[in-house]
Amino acid sequence: MMSAALSPGAAAIVLFGTFLALFVLRVPVAFALGLACLPSLVLEPRLSPMMLFNETFKAYNSFILLAVPFYLLTANLMNVGGVTDRLVRLSRSMVGHFPGALAQINVLLSVFFAGISGSSTADAASQSKIFIDAQVKEGYGLSFSIAITAVSAVLAVIIPPSILMIVWGGVISTSIGAMYLAGFLPGLLIAAAQMATVHVYAKIYHYPVYPRATMKEFFYSAWISIPALLTAFIIVGGVLLGWFTPTESACVAVLYTVALSVFVYREMNLKHLYDSFVETGRLSSVALFCVGTASAFGWLLAYYQIPRALLENVSTWGMGITAAGFFIAFVFLVVGCFLDAIPAIIIFGTILQPLAHSVGMNPIHFAIIGIVSLAFGLVTPPYGLCLMISCAVAKVPIRFALKDTLIMLVPMLLMLAAIIVWPDIPLILPRLIAPELLK
Amino acid sequence: MKKLLDGTHRLLTRLMAATVAILIVPVTLQVVSRYTALIPAWIWTEELSRFLFIWMIMLGAMIGVREGSHFVVDVLPDLPPRPNAFLQIVSNLFVLVFALVFIGWGIEFVRFGWDQSSELAELPMVFIFVAWPVAGLTWVLFLGEAFVASFRVLLGKSER
Repeated sequence: MMSAALSPGAAAIVLFGTFLALFVLRVPVAFALGLACLPSLVLEPRLSPMMLFNETFKAYNSFILLAVPFYLLTANLMNVGGVTDRLVRLSRSMVGHFPGALAQINVLLSVFFAGISGSSTADAASQSKIFIDAQVKEGYGLSFSIAITAVSAVLAVIIPPSILMIVWGGVISTSIGAMYLAGFLPGLLIAAAQMATVHVYAKIYHYPVYPRATMKEFFYSAWISIPALLTAFIIVGGVLLGWFTPTESACVAVLYTVALSVFVYREMNLKHLYDSFVETGRLSSVALFCVGTASAFGWLLAYYQIPRALLENVSTWGMGITAAGFFIAFVFLVVGCFLDAIPAIIIFGTILQPLAHSVGMNPIHFAIIGIVSLAFGLVTPPYGLCLMISCAVAKVPIRFALKDTLIMLVPMLLMLAAIIVWPDIPLILPRLIAPELLK
Repeated sequence: MKKLLDGTHRLLTRLMAATVAILIVPVTLQVVSRYTALIPAWIWTEELSRFLFIWMIMLGAMIGVREGSHFVVDVLPDLPPRPNAFLQIVSNLFVLVFALVFIGWGIEFVRFGWDQSSELAELPMVFIFVAWPVAGLTWVLFLGEAFVASFRVLLGKSER
């Protein structure tokens, strides 16, 4: 850098040091990131705090990110409009006779929900209300119930559509359609790992089983769920077929869900609609506000060429694709403990991208490793948003459900390792269906 | 004072809900215009939706300070009420600094956009840029309330 007042090392210490200090003092993350930019913006003769405004404005002025509120709105409308209820019924008819019936339904519902909504926090919020109380009443452990609700919610950002993939595509310019296809198999594998975990728990603790649903009940519940499941097709298929951009597909999904709730299921009124708008605005704007300050922070990192300085050492280690994959997953898992996934993508995704590129990792493989690792970060303390939401609904501190959550993470981490070692797991679907997106 | 704050809060919440609702319109128009001949393919739909989106984020960020919904990470152990109130005051002081930056340089930001208009719809950019200083102002307002509450706890004037 020509004439920066701070060397990359010093700038990194100022940026990360200020951020960490404020973070420990419980300054909200979005503000801590913005405040951490100020010292350099004031010190550098070439910069001014106006940067903060330009960068936040540029970050928000994005048509891609606009998909975030639409995804959340779809999820909220599904809950008030009766879509979720029908999917619960379908899940029950499919896995209700497995050991740990209600918990299996919990996981399977997350899979369906994940196929329609791209927001794990919306999943955690709605399913905590549905399942935690109900499971405890049927004799499941409270800590187990919280943990399984929280860990199954992370599927929502792995199985398409996904808010994280949208952000990733916007920040690291990767094909969103290809990421959607690549997310399917890893998501289903992780769901299978979770159902196996529930099975073991159910055998050890003798959790209850429902009588097997009749074929008639299965077909009926599948029939009434078809309109709801079509939403998944609109969102994912619409993007892959090139009908809509991701943002437009999310908007169409909103309209479709409203139509479904009002005309088909007839469970929505104006009050519900208004509440969904408020809830959506609330959740998406605090998450997105953070995108702005994280972008300013990331911009300064790039200005001082800190990513390059950080990776200079790493690139001399001579890693192959697999080793680099584990390294990337490790970084995102650690970062995910402390940061929300969206700012983590903006700051660390851009830092790690040159590394992934230099070892010849497929960008889609890189994206899926990053997104799955960050999704696990949604249930790891101290900052695991899904776990926090589930614990808040159950009115217990996070510590309470920690042990079971960590136990459930073990098989999930094994799946992550499999995704790293065998790039074909994420890549096979895009290769078969849309090879042109993989270039 | 409480009434004024509640009123502001309610107004901002309604406006935010409205931006979410209205956002659907231009994006829908964009899709409809592509697939049917009912309406022309206006180019301003994309721009208008981005601008509404910015306002939605800023409005949500404003009320987030009062509702305490901006993400906070607890690495410190749970504290008793008074030290907790003290910590709250310290962290809010930092938020206040950020709010003042938003007001101070935000006004410059607005001045910078004074005679700019947007590329497609030619909306004056001031309508967008003004969101930043307005956010700063509402934060100062809401933070004032939080400071009073924290000091009450610190001085033992309130049970909580």
